[in-house]
Amino acid sequence: MTATIPQHQSEHPKHNLTGFIIFLCSESVIFLAFFSGFALLKTSALNWLPAGVEGLEWRTPLINTVVLISSSGTIWLAERCMAKGNLLGFRAFWLVTMALGAYFLYGQAVEWGGLQFGFTSGVFGGTFYLLTGFHGLHVATGVFLMGLMLVKSFIPQNYAGGEQGVQATSLFWHFVDVIWIILFVLIYVWQRS
Amino acid sequence: MTSATFPPSPPEQESWSRYFGFNTDAKVIGIQYIVTAFFFFLIGGLLAMIIRGELITPASDLVDRTVYNGIYTMHGTIMLFLFIFPVLNGLNNLLIPTMIGAPDMAFPRLNAVAFWLVPIFGTLLIASFFVPGGPAYSGWWSYPPVSIQNPLGHFINGQGLWITAVALSGVASIMGALNFVTTILRMRAPGMGFFRMPVFCWTALAAQSLQLIGLPALTGGAVMLLMDLSFGTSFYQPEGGGDPVLYQHFFWFYSHPAVYVIILPVFGIFSELFPVYSRKPLFGYVYVCLASFIIVGLGLVVWVHHMFPSGVTQWMRNLFMFTTMLIAVPTGVKVFAWLGTIWRGKLRLTTPMLFCLGGLFNFVFAGITGIMLATVPVDIHVSNTYFVVGHFHYVIYGAAVMGIFAAVYHWFPKFIGRMPYEGLGKLHFLLTFVGANLNFLPMHPLGLMGMPRRVSSYDPEFAFWNVLASLGAFLLGVSIIPFLLNMVSAWVRGDRAPHNPWNAIGLEWLLPSPPPEDNFGEHVPTVISRPYGYGLGEPLVEHQAEIERELTLQEASA
Amino acid sequence: MTPPPASPRSLISRLGLVALIAWIALLVVLSWWVAQVSYTWLPVQASTAAPLVDGLFSFETGIGTFVFAAVVSVMVWVVLMHRAEKYDESDAEPIEGNTRLEVIWTVIPFVLVMAIAVYAMRVNTSLGVLGPMEHIHLANPIEDQGGYPGDRLPAEQVEVIARQWSWEFRYPDANVSSTELHLPVDQPVTFRLVSNDVLHGFYIPAFRLKQDVIPGRAIDFNLTPTREGRYRLRDSQFSGTWFAANQADVVVESAAAYRAWLKQAASEPLQAGLSDATTEFDIRKQLNNPGWATVPPAPPPQVNVPGSNTLPHDA
Repeated sequence: MTATIPQHQSEHPKHNLTGFIIFLCSESVIFLAFFSGFALLKTSALNWLPAGVEGLEWRTPLINTVVLISSSGTIWLAERCMAKGNLLGFRAFWLVTMALGAYFLYGQAVEWGGLQFGFTSGVFGGTFYLLTGFHGLHVATGVFLMGLMLVKSFIPQNYAGGEQGVQATSLFWHFVDVIWIILFVLIYVWQRS
Repeated sequence: MTSATFPPSPPEQESWSRYFGFNTDAKVIGIQYIVTAFFFFLIGGLLAMIIRGELITPASDLVDRTVYNGIYTMHGTIMLFLFIFPVLNGLNNLLIPTMIGAPDMAFPRLNAVAFWLVPIFGTLLIASFFVPGGPAYSGWWSYPPVSIQNPLGHFINGQGLWITAVALSGVASIMGALNFVTTILRMRAPGMGFFRMPVFCWTALAAQSLQLIGLPALTGGAVMLLMDLSFGTSFYQPEGGGDPVLYQHFFWFYSHPAVYVIILPVFGIFSELFPVYSRKPLFGYVYVCLASFIIVGLGLVVWVHHMFPSGVTQWMRNLFMFTTMLIAVPTGVKVFAWLGTIWRGKLRLTTPMLFCLGGLFNFVFAGITGIMLATVPVDIHVSNTYFVVGHFHYVIYGAAVMGIFAAVYHWFPKFIGRMPYEGLGKLHFLLTFVGANLNFLPMHPLGLMGMPRRVSSYDPEFAFWNVLASLGAFLLGVSIIPFLLNMVSAWVRGDRAPHNPWNAIGLEWLLPSPPPEDNFGEHVPTVISRPYGYGLGEPLVEHQAEIERELTLQEASA
Repeated sequence: MTPPPASPRSLISRLGLVALIAWIALLVVLSWWVAQVSYTWLPVQASTAAPLVDGLFSFETGIGTFVFAAVVSVMVWVVLMHRAEKYDESDAEPIEGNTRLEVIWTVIPFVLVMAIAVYAMRVNTSLGVLGPMEHIHLANPIEDQGGYPGDRLPAEQVEVIARQWSWEFRYPDANVSSTELHLPVDQPVTFRLVSNDVLHGFYIPAFRLKQDVIPGRAIDFNLTPTREGRYRLRDSQFSGTWFAANQADVVVESAAAYRAWLKQAASEPLQAGLSDATTEFDIRKQLNNPGWATVPPAPPPQVNVPGSNTLPHDA
């Protein structure tokens, strides 16, 4: 019983990208809320770190950060290939990006496994896992979307009319990267006071 | 379904069952939103009757205190998330595409999904009445720690369902906002620059931008509340280092802009209707449009005025008092614009016009009590008392709901294709205006005398004004009867509506009543003048005379 | 293209101008009168804060009355005098705007609200109510047995402990506790507000003062009562099932009477303090708990003087 969607909808690809960009702006506010909550709680708590916890190990997360930033570079390269019509180059860099993203998730899981505190270990535990977990969810979503786009790239003529899906996924990936940088500074760099 | 000729012929008698399914036509979705919203309005209203029934006597003698607390909590929650926001989204769906000459929304399927989330989270919320322990009971704010005490200790509990429902409501609203904003930005008719766009679309753009910016903060805060409630985290629990006031910041960072999400569309409705029923252009159209966005900007930096007596520092109180006071300025610009519009107009006191005039009257009163609340020393005395309850009910019922009724009566002919009954409409107005003032005016002296809000019992000295308020509430309950009678009988057997029964200027009035599925289809007229050109004698669009002639011929032959 | 505004000559006649000025004068008188009457809408003034708050409120009421009456006057005039003739379907004059008017009705309200804000800020400062708000650890076992917290500031003279659902007042210097607040008239007092469980609101309408009590914080709050009498303290921040019943009495008395009360109280043995919630909870249990779930009330605090909260109060 669905009404037919008018013909000209598909002739306005700008709409989808516009909508997606607006969505990303909205999504950034939820991260901003979590960040400001983290900062406020950290500066006002009487006992910030749980008993027995001295601080966070930052070297391995730094490696993960480098991996994630590099993946933003490879996804940009992939987009450049697509723009020039080089589908093979596109797929190659796209796959590398996915691999780097997957490695990031793996690194996150390893870090989580080795921590001495849990989600309910006071306000520090709660905010740590909430921030890294919510971000990790976005990384996983990004890898998933990239997988979808990769599969679609094998459908003939799929990108002949426009590469909105690729553009949107790429934007999303950069977004996830920027969020991580802020997160890294907030949680791992700012460990005193 | 674009027709070969223009204007397109009105649809044949389409099956009413399409209103019950997954339909992507914004006009169907709009009706779905509005009818669903009024269904929940009746439930929320019934809860209000119980509240006022309890408060007509000082003692807690009608229902148990736990029941009272659950009922007032659900009254507020239902009225906000299941009535006001959905009904405004319904108006957006009906009006935005037709006013800008678009065939539909930018994302029709997303539009339908956003609507269908409403009955889903509505069911979730109503279901919370029936779980062990009862529904959420800490007010529609759900402040921790009291909201996360979970007396029975069950994983599935009323508060958890409440948080889930509100989170889903947020998702649905963001979907809607994406749609409305993209549509307005990208799908306007040729010739319709921003300063030829109707004010309703300006205020919708402003309101939906606020939704996009504010809702995620509420979602974040609510997620943390749910974690505390269900998994024992300590975001807001002091024992674990958390801070209850942090929740208040998250909550109000959204919920203050939320009140502008509610009132801005109503400002848009007033701006649309006063010109029609005064036969005069909107006074200062450009300033009215710009004021909408000044309200958006200021609306995002005033939230702490809901927290003056909370744990916030002195400098914060002063800062937010200043920002809050500033909002009076763009709001005043709009109020004066409406006065300037009706001044020396040729007024017709139709039902929609009466609701707009009554709404304006109530709004100015509420604005004044709002200024009082903005000043910290007065707010310290009256916050969390019935003074605040009176203030916001004057805005929400006295102005916003009356504006919504005005919109329903005004655009009913266009989208339903039939004329509502004027006599019943005027009766509805009279009962509403008297009932609202009788219900909510006495709340102000109660607050000044020191009666707190959310109380299931009170000291005897407050009895007199409470009795008056309760009588007003019962009158408001009665006032819905002529409205429902009118809507149902007009829909079924009202006179067929012509394409422009009010002789109004606007793109939607250049469509048949009701419009075909894709509105103008491929034949979108080109806009050549500013809106509200009453008395100027210029057409709104190219070939307007031909369009009008065709429509009139169609109606004559029907 | 906006048509030029109608010339002033045709806008209003001399008689009309006189009538307008008379009407405005009438509104000014009305507003001044309502501003005076507004004092009667408020409870008796029992603290130094009250006249300041009432003065601000009265000022706002006066201005608000004038604005509201002016707007309503315009609306009534328009509805009476600018109606369309019965069969007249034509349009009215196409006046699209007036930039000078826009400026006037932007600048004047701006100046007005800023003036009110400055006045209010001055009042806020002179209220001088808010002291430090340190974060503290929650309930200390020492406190539950009537002792005093180690992180107490010397200026804190009365400790207020809010619970679900009772108010306990402790006077450390006199070693007295009660569930009825006694204060000497005309003497500044600093409270230390703490909560054992959830948010509460420390609200005394007669004083015009209110402060949320936040678990995990000790908030210092200053005031000076100025009128002897018995007043109500009401919980103003929703705190659960018996929120509405969480009230206590505040007795403001002469310094001599206050000292005598303290002396008498110190010799009283500890007993259960006032807690209407506990009484109602027990009754409710006997009725097999009608209604939905509730947190059980905290046991009433053990105090020297329970006092009363059923005597008639002034406000």
